[in-house]
Amino acid sequence: MAKVCSANVFVRLAWPRQLLLLWIAATFLTAGGLAHSQEVQELSERPVPILTGSAGYFTNVTAGENALAPVVMPVILVPIGERWLVESRGNFSAEFERPKGGGGPYGGQVEKNLDYLQLDFIANPHLTVTAGRFLTPFGIYNERLYPIWIRDLQVTPLIFPIATGSSDGVMLRGGFPVSSSVNLNYATYFSTASTLTAFESDRTVGGRVGFFFLRPRIEIGTSWQKLLQDERTQSEGFHFAWQPSPVPLNLRFEYARGHSGSGYWVEGAYRFSQVQVWNSVMRRTEFVGRMQQFFAGEGDVPTNSDSEYHLPHSNVQQPDFGLNYYIKDGLKASASYGRWLGKRNYNVWSFGIAYRFAVPLGKLESQ
Amino acid sequence: MRVMPILLSLVLIFTLFGNAHSRNRESANTTVTQRNPDNEAKRVEGEQRFRANCGRCHAAPQKFPPRMMATIVRHMRVRATITDDDMKLILLYMTQ
Repeated sequence: MAKVCSANVFVRLAWPRQLLLLWIAATFLTAGGLAHSQEVQELSERPVPILTGSAGYFTNVTAGENALAPVVMPVILVPIGERWLVESRGNFSAEFERPKGGGGPYGGQVEKNLDYLQLDFIANPHLTVTAGRFLTPFGIYNERLYPIWIRDLQVTPLIFPIATGSSDGVMLRGGFPVSSSVNLNYATYFSTASTLTAFESDRTVGGRVGFFFLRPRIEIGTSWQKLLQDERTQSEGFHFAWQPSPVPLNLRFEYARGHSGSGYWVEGAYRFSQVQVWNSVMRRTEFVGRMQQFFAGEGDVPTNSDSEYHLPHSNVQQPDFGLNYYIKDGLKASASYGRWLGKRNYNVWSFGIAYRFAVPLGKLESQ
Repeated sequence: MRVMPILLSLVLIFTLFGNAHSRNRESANTTVTQRNPDNEAKRVEGEQRFRANCGRCHAAPQKFPPRMMATIVRHMRVRATITDDDMKLILLYMTQ
């Protein structure tokens, strides 16, 4: 029994020790890259603090039930000196619905979340050290495609809750060329458990690595996460993205497997910019198609989580189709239809408008 | 329910004020950098890097004033794990 206990203690201590090694490696890399980073300083304009983000208003109809869904996601970026950046994103969203089984006014709660509040230190060209609350780097959707002005379909993928969300801790990340035609990008992190309101997170360790092939514009990557509490489960993921140069097409694929299940989504978005008929309209129009499946696993799906995203309790597949119209820079109208095929079958409609804003919080004159 | 109209109004006010402010400054700032053949080659390379890196996730945004772009590129360098070389070329392209 004592041996088991001491083994457990060792396992518990092992992660901080590995974290310490990570920090030592980071320090060496920092010193090595100092000269290179000074070159960046010479080329850069002096950055100014910015308030940016997105706002949108959507009408969602799920299984015949209407919901009005306004969203505001403000982002504050505060650069400090040449190598630091404080960045934070809030997420205010709601789903206002009528009372069940009748008329009456729309009502509901506004959810307020702090997606990230992080301090970034660009240690050298290959390494950025991040501390604070950050988006968990697992797959590509959470970090890159989540903002409403970016995502091609407003309905999030079924597997989105697997190993994503936000983490509180330390992250090392970066990207560098491994050859003239291949870039490598990586992120590795340690997150501590927190039950503080707005800072909720699990004790986890994980990472992601990706290879981007410049000429064919293909990215292939993999992610993993280990939960260091409760059931100590593990999650893995794989992603693929391809932008073939001759056509305005964006193909993305993501697979994730966790304790509660596994699944994938594959999405294609085609911009009609090469269509000559009504070109002024067609070049602003994008057609999106997505197929996704979720396979329920052995583990229970958490039901007491405060998160607005939950995994399905049983096997589901859902095809989605959508149209986006880019009215002007940062402003787009979108409409989509999907069919949830599970224990119950129903339609999922979404219509709305998304806007990205960016305003400076300081003087813009060059120094 | 009461929070959303206030937030949306604030976004609208900031946006209207900020866009007008940015547009006035943009024309003055973007003409500062003088073009030469070497810069032009880097700008073309920067456009390619922009399409390869940024175009994977979103459409090309308007060009913001250089000091705003410097912040945005720093943010995206971290978010999208863009390499140092790509970041420099993209910044050059987006500020000329």
